[in-house]
This record gives sequence, structure tokens and C-alpha cells, in this order.
Amino acid sequence: MDSSGLLLDQILFGVFPYVALFTFFFVTIQRYRIHKFTFSSLSSQFLENKTHFWGMVPFHYGLIVVLTGHIMMFLLPKLVLNWNSVPVRLYILEAVMFAFAALSFIGIIALIRRRMNNTKVRMVTSPTDWLLLVFLLIQIVLGLYMALFHRWGSSWFSGAMTPYLWSIAKFSPDVNYVTALPLAVKLHIINAFILIGIFPFTRLVHVLVAPNPYLWRRHQVVRWYKNRSLIAKLRDRV
Amino acid sequence: MKTPYSITRHKSFATAMLLTLLIASLPANGFGQTVKEFFKVNCTSCHKLGGGRLIGPDLKNVLERKDRAWLTEFIMNPKAKIDAGDEYALKLQKEANGIIMITVPIDRKRAEELLDLIEAESKLETSEFAGTTAPLIPFTDSDVAHGVELFTGATRLKSGAPPCLSCHSTNGSGAAMGGNLGPNLTQVSERLMGREALTAWLSAPPTATMQSVFKPHPLETDEIHALVALFDKTAKSAPESGGIVLWMGVIFYGLGGTLVVLMAFGGFWSGRFRAVRRPMVNSAKLKSTKNKTGKLGGKS
Repeated sequence: MDSSGLLLDQILFGVFPYVALFTFFFVTIQRYRIHKFTFSSLSSQFLENKTHFWGMVPFHYGLIVVLTGHIMMFLLPKLVLNWNSVPVRLYILEAVMFAFAALSFIGIIALIRRRMNNTKVRMVTSPTDWLLLVFLLIQIVLGLYMALFHRWGSSWFSGAMTPYLWSIAKFSPDVNYVTALPLAVKLHIINAFILIGIFPFTRLVHVLVAPNPYLWRRHQVVRWYKNRSLIAKLRDRV
Repeated sequence: MKTPYSITRHKSFATAMLLTLLIASLPANGFGQTVKEFFKVNCTSCHKLGGGRLIGPDLKNVLERKDRAWLTEFIMNPKAKIDAGDEYALKLQKEANGIIMITVPIDRKRAEELLDLIEAESKLETSEFAGTTAPLIPFTDSDVAHGVELFTGATRLKSGAPPCLSCHSTNGSGAAMGGNLGPNLTQVSERLMGREALTAWLSAPPTATMQSVFKPHPLETDEIHALVALFDKTAKSAPESGGIVLWMGVIFYGLGGTLVVLMAFGGFWSGRFRAVRRPMVNSAKLKSTKNKTGKLGGKS
């Protein structure tokens, strides 16, 4: 690799991650301080809910599983490598990850088609939404490409990517871990940091205010208010 | 539709970005290495100094064979010399079994320092980089079996480094289907010109990714011996084609899994909307139609 290539790698994998991370933390905090009510995904479910279901559900469940896998490989690489030390277990893990990545691919294709083809939904789609969908699609396609052509991601992520990411986290970036990796892997890393960087400017912020308590809070009974005469009176006043 | 949020609302964004760039421009790893350490880590896997040829030529008195300016440029970017059709560089590549010397990211100053070191070490009767010619202990079946275990990860490397299978495949070993991020290692023993060179290579892998992974987690001598035994065996074995079938099986099961989960979503949430919202919307529509019809009927 020539010196310009090395410099580019240094910029993309040694400097850009910090630009993305600082943008993420700074703007997310500022946005929450100043415009906390914009922390929403601005659901369009009421405008159309049939394609929405077949897009939103596979996309989210697929992504949650795949992201959890990435986080596991980052935080517990030894556990993942131990699991993969028996080839059959490695194949099972890879097949499961591939299944959920394919699920998120189907989901995002459905979501993009819905936003393109449904007039009402298209009207409420901002340029930022389109940008986000494109970056997410690129990320998922690259992930699937790697699963197909650069196996076994769960193992080499734990071996090469995890130390690289920790070098970023420890403010001592070591780009040597990634400079010799295939182009698709490098693009996947860069695109991941782009997504982190644009996170606070997009509907992705809803991740931070996901209604997690729904999972453990006591159920609530929602009932119609039956006093129709009172409703009619109020309506007349309006 | 308006973009929900704009970066321009933050006046202090530029300050944060500046801080980011300052932190990011802190010196990266590896810059503090002495030239001897650098030589040991990056050069000894392929070269000796007075101990004979490994993958690359013996570097003793290399400055008597070629001029300093050429060597400096070659060290900095060997591939560029080969691509330019340089006769001497092509000769070196041919002698190294077609292997192109790995480009290690260094500046001119470090290349000059390496040549100074080689020059100084060449004057010594025995350089510390002359290498050792260890007696070649014959490989046993248990060495090969241990090599397979290390390759697949069934026995973890003592340093905690990931097993070879993560990135590499090899045939004729029973080592199952490996990764393909790195090259297939079936013929690696032949490619690297034999057992001694392969042992040296594994002692200090010089490629960027391997070096990053194995420098903090070096292989133990017995592990290198077992892996070299495995690669010695695979180099003599017939090619296998079972790996691709296994890999396609993984993809097939993956896609099958996708289908099953989609069907599960459809089944689990089959009453979604239909049980609550849709009947409500439909009944509202029906009522409104009835009212309209009633009113129209009344008028007529």
C-alpha cells in the first residue's frame, strides 16, 4: 500500500471514528436538552399499517439480534471464540446471524418500498429519513455480503475487529488491525461510523427513548369513555 | 417535509469537533519502537542476518549487493518496484517463490535506520538476528492431531489469540471448513519454502492483520511445531471439496431460518389490528354509511 493509502486509512479508521463518536454524544445531549420532544421516530403506522408490519417487524427484530451479536463479540470475544471452538456451534451461530441479517434486509426493503409507493407516507418522509434508509440498506447489504464471502465473521470479528474497536475506545487507535481487511469489511466499518455520526440528526434517536418499561410494567386497561351525551356536548362547544 | 433537526443550531459544535480532531491526532501505536524491536517484529519472519535464506534472502552485507538509495525505496514500497518492472526486484520475487515482500508502513527515516542496523550487524561475526538452526524433529501423528485442534480452536491457543479457522481454511486435515478472510493454508508450507521459513513466519507474523492480532498474543513454540506439522501434512494431501457444500448448508439453513421467523411473525401477530383496530374502523365506516343512507332515505 502506498503512503496516500496509509494516510487515508489513518484518517478513515483513526480519526473519523472520533468525529462520529463526538458528534453522536455532543449533538444527542444537546438535542435532548433543547428539543427533547423531537426524540421520536414519528411513526407513520396510522397512515398505512399492512406493509408497515412486514417491514418494521422483520427489520427491527433482525437488527436487534444482529446488533446484539456484534455487541457480544465486542464485549465478550473470548466467550464467542470458545463457543466457536466446536465447528458445529460456529456454523449454527453463523446460520442464525445470517437468518436475522436476511430478515432485516427484507424489512428494510419493505420499508423503503412503502415510503416510495405510499403517497401519504412519502409526504411525511424527510430527506434525512431517506438518507438514513440508504445508509442502513448499505450497511445490511455489506453485512450479508461479508457473511457470504468473508466467513466466519463471528470469529474474525472477535480476533481482529474487537481489538481495533477497543483501541478506539482507549484513545489509542491502531488501524493496523483493519488496513489489510477486504474492501467490503472496511466499507462496513466506515458506514457504521457514518450511522453513529448521523444518529442524533435522524429518527434513530428513538432508540434512546424506546419504551423499555413496557416490558416489565403492570398492564393497563384502556377503555372507551362511554358518556356519549357529555362527548356530544363538548363537541358542540368546539 | 422539513428535516426534524439541524446541526447549525449548535454554535459550539465546531469546538467539539476541534477537540475530537485533537484527540484523534494523538500518536498511534508502534511509533515508539526502537529500530531493533522493529526489525525483530517485522523482518525476522522472512529474513536472517548471516544465518542463510528464509523466505527472503539473507540480509548480511546486503549493502554490498545493492546501493542504499535503491534499498531504501524498496523497503518503503517493494510492490511499487515490482510493478514498475525493476529487474532486481523481479529477481528477488522469483527467488522468493513469487511472494512479494510485505509493505510495512514506514517513512524514509525508519528505512534508513534499518539499513544502518543491517550494516552494523553485518560487521559482527554473529548477528543476534542470524537465527538458529534447530534440529528438525520429525513430525508425529499426535503433532498433526494437536495442530488440527489448534487450527479449529478445539484446543485454545495459550495466549488467547483466535484460532486459524476464524480466517483460514486448509484441506486434508479434517479441520473442517475454515474462514476465507485470509488465504487458504493448504499449501502454505510449499509457498513459504519449507518448514524453517514457516516456523519463522509463525513466530512473528509480518502481515498487518496477523501482526496486530498475534503481537500481543504470540504463539508458543509447541503450538508452532504442531501447526507446522499440520501444514506439512496438508501440503502433501489431495484437495478436498467438502467445504463448499458445508458452507452452502449454513447459508441454506440461514435462509430457512429467515422464512421460519417470518412465518412465526405472521402467525403470532395474525390477530394484530384485525382483532382491535380493523373491526373498530370497519364498524365506524358502517355506521357512517348507515347514517348517510338513513339521511338520504329520509329526504327522498
